[in-house]
Amino acid sequence: MTLRTPHRRHRRGTDRRPRVALTVTTLFFLLLYLPIAVVVLFSFNGQKSLTVFKGFSLRWYTAFFHDNVLIESLGMSLRVSLVAMAGSVILGVALALGLVRCRTRLGSLAGLIMLVPLITPEIVTGVAAMLLFKGMDITLSSGTVMLAEITFSISYVTVILRSRIAALNPEVEEAAMDLGATRWQALRLVTLPALLPSILASAVLVFALVFDDFVLAYFTTGVDPQPLSVRIYSAIRFGVQPTINAVGTLMLIGSIGLIGLALAIPRLFGRRGGLDLLSGK
Amino acid sequence: MAQRTPSGAVPGHRGRSASGTRLWTWLMLPGTLWMTGFLIASLILVATLALGTTDPLGNPRFGFNFDNIAAMADPAYRIVLLRSLGFALIACVVCLIVAYPVAYTIALHGGRFKNLLIAAIVVPFFANYLVRMYGWSVVLSDGGPVLKALRAVGLADAHTKILQSGVGVIAGLVYGFIVFMIIPLFAALERMDLSLIEAGRDLYGGPLRTFFFVTLPATRQGAAAGAVLVFLPAIGDFVSAQLMGGPDQIMIGNLIQDKFFQGQNWPLGSALTMLMMAVLFIGMLGYLRRTRKDEAEAAR
Repeated sequence: MTLRTPHRRHRRGTDRRPRVALTVTTLFFLLLYLPIAVVVLFSFNGQKSLTVFKGFSLRWYTAFFHDNVLIESLGMSLRVSLVAMAGSVILGVALALGLVRCRTRLGSLAGLIMLVPLITPEIVTGVAAMLLFKGMDITLSSGTVMLAEITFSISYVTVILRSRIAALNPEVEEAAMDLGATRWQALRLVTLPALLPSILASAVLVFALVFDDFVLAYFTTGVDPQPLSVRIYSAIRFGVQPTINAVGTLMLIGSIGLIGLALAIPRLFGRRGGLDLLSGK
Repeated sequence: MAQRTPSGAVPGHRGRSASGTRLWTWLMLPGTLWMTGFLIASLILVATLALGTTDPLGNPRFGFNFDNIAAMADPAYRIVLLRSLGFALIACVVCLIVAYPVAYTIALHGGRFKNLLIAAIVVPFFANYLVRMYGWSVVLSDGGPVLKALRAVGLADAHTKILQSGVGVIAGLVYGFIVFMIIPLFAALERMDLSLIEAGRDLYGGPLRTFFFVTLPATRQGAAAGAVLVFLPAIGDFVSAQLMGGPDQIMIGNLIQDKFFQGQNWPLGSALTMLMMAVLFIGMLGYLRRTRKDEAEAAR
């Protein structure tokens, strides 16, 4: 390395670490994790303060587990997420299969409809869902939150599954049919098992997204009980609530665990084909 | 699939794919009907109610009345709309300025930690939005670490505050949505042909010249996609303005929320929603025309 040809010096251009970019990146990571660290740290605070840390204590966790309203909200959020996960995965996987394989005009229309939630701000879908339910005289409750969340989540499932289905080799399915399987059998016995990692990953993702969702839940929930994120919203609007740090920490652990699981699923199956969070959308 | 089988050679296949089309249509139908029933219908409902009125009790009435649309000309709404546009645009620009070096560092210098670093950015984004915003507002608060650090280096005095100001709202939007900028930029930088940068250097371009004339143009589609992905949620957001701003920083999302929950004027809320959608629609058209042009140029 002592003797550098001019050529080598040119090549080093892309290898040299850009100092400004590196500084910005470091600062970015610091600021990205600082708020999360604050919430976690102060959930163990012995005091009610958010600026002074005094003594390690679990009192806010105890307070959370004794708060019936919050526990009830937690239960509702879990129920809503489970139902929305099941509903949107069933509808979304079927829709994705149809979209990839069906090249008709109806298919392209369905493809457009599926994109609508992704390009509409959530407040608009929230307002719209609320108006629809009120217009049909349906009392807002956990049921309406489930319906709205399913509608929104179908798109996620479909987007994730669509690219995986398109990447499948259709000849395998055709071979199954040449061996006497009906199209339905080929789908059930060949295609769906091949898609299983992606389906599971999208299910976990939807569960996490619905559990954490606030805007849609806010517009479609009734009064009692309310989803956990709606409760958090009303709590943090009215000043310091240390219990929220504890709830927030538990939710952070939950969603980070779920996302980790969704990312790890393809590896657990020993092949690619789960969530591709890193390639674009 | 049809072109994969030589036509006529396997006569059975044609019948199969016809029955297949029927199966695929049936599979597609429930999801499409669900989305049409719940989403498209409800959006049409919002558009229709924008032409409605309220009765003396405050209940919404459908009708054919342009008062709510005319009300959109009210300077009070125009100011809020322009402010929302401004905040969302500035948030986009700040996101671009911060996200570009981050994506650049990770994509070109991340080495084997590349995917780990991107995961480290994506994962907290999936943490609850409100909890993250709440933590962010604590960090930016008067006694918080950011202002303390700024005061220590003399960039802020005792009176400087971030919360309750436009800066706070924009900071909230940036923190909330910057991941949407980093991911497409990262993807674009990863896809980029690195020999272009070398070529720039070989032609004696300095690092800055190479960056502005080679790297930046090569990744502008990623930047444009990121801008759209940040702008969309930012303009409709009402949490940031509520937690980080004061009464002078409300955005259109706060107005909509207010009309539906406190004001109980749903037709007016619907009109405001449609106004926001109209602005977004114009923006999207501009973006699509721009990308078409880019694609046409790339194809040439």
